[in-house]
Amino acid sequence: MRTVLKTAVRSVFRQKRRSLLLAGAIAFGMLMITLMNGFTEGMLTNVRDNLSHALGGHVFVSGQEITETGRVVSRIDFDDRLQTLLETNSAEIASITRRSQTFGTVVFGSRQSAQMLYGVDFQAEERLRTSVAVTAGSLEAVMEDDQAIALPDSLAQRLGVELGETVLIRLDTVTGQRNVGEFWVRAFIEDQAELGMSAAFGHRAYVNTLLNLPSDSYQSLNLFLHDLFAADKMADQFRDVLPLRPVGEDGDDQAAAFGFGPFGQQQAPEPWDGIRFTIATINDIMEPIEAVVLVLDRLSLGVFAVLLVIIVVGITNTFRMIVLERTKEIGTMRALGMQRPTVRRIFLAEAAFLGLFGGVVGLGLALGAMTVVSRLTVAEPGLQFFLAQGRFTFQLVPQVVLLHFAILTFVCLASAYWPARSAADLPPIKALGGHL
Amino acid sequence: MRNTICLRAAVVLGMLLVLGGGLQSAAGAEDFAHIETILREVDTRSTFGDGDFAALLTVITEDPEKGVEQTVVRQFRRDREDQFAMLIQEPRVQRGQGYLMDGENLWFYDPSSRQFSHTSLKETFQDSDARNSDFTAWSYAEDYEITEYTEGQLGVNSVYIVLLAALHDEVTYPYLKLWVTQENALILKVEEYSLTQRLMRTALFPSYARVGDSVIPRQMVFVDELAEGQRTQIAFSEMSVQPIPDYVFTRAYLEQVNR
Repeated sequence: MRTVLKTAVRSVFRQKRRSLLLAGAIAFGMLMITLMNGFTEGMLTNVRDNLSHALGGHVFVSGQEITETGRVVSRIDFDDRLQTLLETNSAEIASITRRSQTFGTVVFGSRQSAQMLYGVDFQAEERLRTSVAVTAGSLEAVMEDDQAIALPDSLAQRLGVELGETVLIRLDTVTGQRNVGEFWVRAFIEDQAELGMSAAFGHRAYVNTLLNLPSDSYQSLNLFLHDLFAADKMADQFRDVLPLRPVGEDGDDQAAAFGFGPFGQQQAPEPWDGIRFTIATINDIMEPIEAVVLVLDRLSLGVFAVLLVIIVVGITNTFRMIVLERTKEIGTMRALGMQRPTVRRIFLAEAAFLGLFGGVVGLGLALGAMTVVSRLTVAEPGLQFFLAQGRFTFQLVPQVVLLHFAILTFVCLASAYWPARSAADLPPIKALGGHL
Repeated sequence: MRNTICLRAAVVLGMLLVLGGGLQSAAGAEDFAHIETILREVDTRSTFGDGDFAALLTVITEDPEKGVEQTVVRQFRRDREDQFAMLIQEPRVQRGQGYLMDGENLWFYDPSSRQFSHTSLKETFQDSDARNSDFTAWSYAEDYEITEYTEGQLGVNSVYIVLLAALHDEVTYPYLKLWVTQENALILKVEEYSLTQRLMRTALFPSYARVGDSVIPRQMVFVDELAEGQRTQIAFSEMSVQPIPDYVFTRAYLEQVNR
């Protein structure tokens, strides 16, 4: 075996230029597929993280009830079944947020701007306190006053608001009546406008007063899980236990689960009693994004397949030439007692060596390219949803990388098999004469 | 003996208080009935009953940030069927946009996308301080109860100043304050308050026109009391009560008329 490997390596280095070209083609294939896979996996993770952060969880529970006039109102009160579910699954839940939300108009002087406002329990939302980047003031100051608010930077600049000033927020109650809240600006936060999800944060009790809800009610319950991939399983558990809202024809129920629904403005598709729940997971909104990523993966697989075909043709032709060139050498080896399988193994080892070498070089180049690209900061707002803090990230799945290596090596071996077999089958006398 | 006298005195005092309260509430109810009658008259006169109504509206919106914008709208109303259609004629970039109300449905039509989208009477009209409901009949007596009223003066007019609270949560503003002339029951001014009882908008109706059996404002001014310097003025002209063809109140008409 050692002789076989030694001979194969020597043969590879004998024709350095040709070997480099072959290995280069293989490396290029490995580079492309690794880059694409790393990019799509990294992008998926970033989108999932950005969405979870922006929406405030992995599992989203919202409640709706119908008023006497037939309006659907978003609201969750204390519920034993919900509480039991949360306690049962407490080991898997990293954090719970209970929020109210409204889309209002922030008014300051003669300026006004539409803005999403979340009513949160700052004491209970440790994740929010640690994840929000405060650019001026502090969240502690917001926590001190019931009517205090943290405004996104961009909104503050648009309105010309300074810390300590008072803004008005014009909004609708859950049943659609006009209302106005007076908020004291105590903090400015980095917004997620680039993610299309800019939000202001106020105290839930005060926001509830403005929405005409009891102070301890809330509109959405969001769960961050330790394992994001357990979201669907947990959502199914909740669906099994809680009374669910009848599915509407227009998909409003799904939107309401994420806090996008036109709360208080909907007409019920069919009436129900008490509070009905809508449960969704981050995967529900990831589906279309995953479909796009799947298309990208398929495309890169197509490119990889084309490169493999080129590699197959290249290796087959090259090895046929190699056999032609080394006919006398093969004859000599055979005359000296080398068996046919050994001759075949030498050629196959040479192909395997080329495949592995090209693969390793391709992987190395891909890792290098990933390192360089992931250090670049991208300011383009439209791309931020796919980035982690303004940077591309790449994620390699070891099993997939190994699979690509295996495919490359197999293709190299398969391409070299027929030339190797014809070399092994050469009669020694004919080969010594240089005839095939 | 002393205890008995005290007991009798307490009973008499209690009876007097109950009687006094009863008399007061009876007087209040009587007074409110008078104002209620006025409000019903206001509501009745703001509708066109069995007839139709058409007018040309000039909407001038003043916004310190955006400047002054003028919108010209052709309005068609058929109150008996809860229908109205509004076609925007100016500015040129918005020409072709329109509103259509049929019963409980209100659609906005945008010719650039050729699509109708659902909207609500509570929404603002074309980014102005007017709401879509400002172009329909009033229903103060049905939707509100009178909580208090006084007599006062507004300019040269003797008025009733009436405080109203919403009877249900379907109305846009939970509290209203009306200035109604004592002489001819015309609403001159309305202050609209939020649920937190903060003044949000003031509506002024400086002049009226008699159109058929109805009386409607010839001019309306809406002042945003939250955003400084924001106001909208609406002037009615070319008012008519001639019958309007049925097809005007259809989606097809809005699509067709804009081609």
